[in-house]
Amino acid sequence: MTAWISILFSLLASLLISSAVETASGLPNPSPLDWNSSDQSPRRLALEMAAGNAGEGYQIHDGFWSGALAKDAPVHIEVYLFAGNDYRFSAANVDFYSQLRLKIFDAWGFPVGNQYSGDSSCSAAGISVIQSGRYFIQLVMSEGDKADTCMVYSYK
Amino acid sequence: MSWTPCRSTFLFLFAVTPWLGAEQERLTAKQMDDAIFIETVSTPTPSEFFLALGKQSQPNWNHILRPTLPVATSDREQIAMQLGMLVADGFMAIEAQNGQSVKNTTRDILILAKKLNVSQQIVARGQSISDFADTAQWRELREELDAMQNDIRLSLLEQKDSPLVVLASAGSWVRQIEMGSNILASGDKSVSTELLTQPDVASRILARVQNLPQNSQKSPLVQSLLSVLLTASSLMSETKSDLPASSVSKLVSTMAGFSHAVGGTDSKK
Repeated sequence: MTAWISILFSLLASLLISSAVETASGLPNPSPLDWNSSDQSPRRLALEMAAGNAGEGYQIHDGFWSGALAKDAPVHIEVYLFAGNDYRFSAANVDFYSQLRLKIFDAWGFPVGNQYSGDSSCSAAGISVIQSGRYFIQLVMSEGDKADTCMVYSYK
Repeated sequence: MSWTPCRSTFLFLFAVTPWLGAEQERLTAKQMDDAIFIETVSTPTPSEFFLALGKQSQPNWNHILRPTLPVATSDREQIAMQLGMLVADGFMAIEAQNGQSVKNTTRDILILAKKLNVSQQIVARGQSISDFADTAQWRELREELDAMQNDIRLSLLEQKDSPLVVLASAGSWVRQIEMGSNILASGDKSVSTELLTQPDVASRILARVQNLPQNSQKSPLVQSLLSVLLTASSLMSETKSDLPASSVSKLVSTMAGFSHAVGGTDSKK
């Protein structure tokens, strides 16, 4: 009986230790924006795209738009951009069969900037701003059902 | 790291598609008028403003930096405006790559946040900022200070203090314009006044302050803020091109006077 208790105790102890080690080694790197890599939210996906720009010196702004986007019902978001800065806008939803497009328009409503990804459930666009002022970000879902979508931006 | 469709799409379809050549659709006036305005996305951060300013003129930030000195007060409206100004100071200290100044400013932000009962939510950020400042990680510092500002905003909203969010945002903007106009007034010809001419932002902030509840508007400093915003909005709207030197001087004196009344500035510098 004592032997069984001893074995059980050892097993329990080793389980606890291994779990503690795993937890310690599996801790995510500290991120200012606190997004959880196991989270499948649109925000996490949009931030993941934006994080890809860090290598080019972009920093992510801690603000986002999120909302339900329906097919062929574009959403427009006003932003204010400064001349001399480069901006990248990233949007995503969790409906992987949807087609999302993000476009940038200037204060007169003309399309500006570059698009950085093809039709999929995520999209990005960027602009090197020449004239400071109001700009508009258009999010359009051309394929797919209504889905929660998130947009973030980064700049350098 | 997990392999998601977004990541693979981004990697494989990263080829830049020039917008030229696509059908040139144009937004209608109604689409632009109805565009969503969210403070956390639609209002530019001090970091973006100072970054753009720095690219144009490479100012001596350490020389310009005059940290707001928090004044002992129980007036929550005043504390919120001081907080906004300190956040702007923090971003300027990052541009100056002055780690000690970033740490001092963050300490003052924490003190003021405590007075508004929102310090618990940002204590960890304060520690991260201190660590990043010690290791001169400027990009990470910008992101962390930005996140701290947003955490304060969210915490204030949670405790139904939305007027204080408006005042903090206004304080931060006033400080940015004060610093920008100071650089211009000092005779730096490399800075375009276009950066300072933000009539849309000014009118948005003005409208939000005008819509504050009556009890918030009773504060004499909020009345001063309204006057400052009206002046700034008027100066910025009167020209479509460069701001004349007289307008820049007016901005300097108006903003500096208000900053001093709200928080005081370090006169030793």
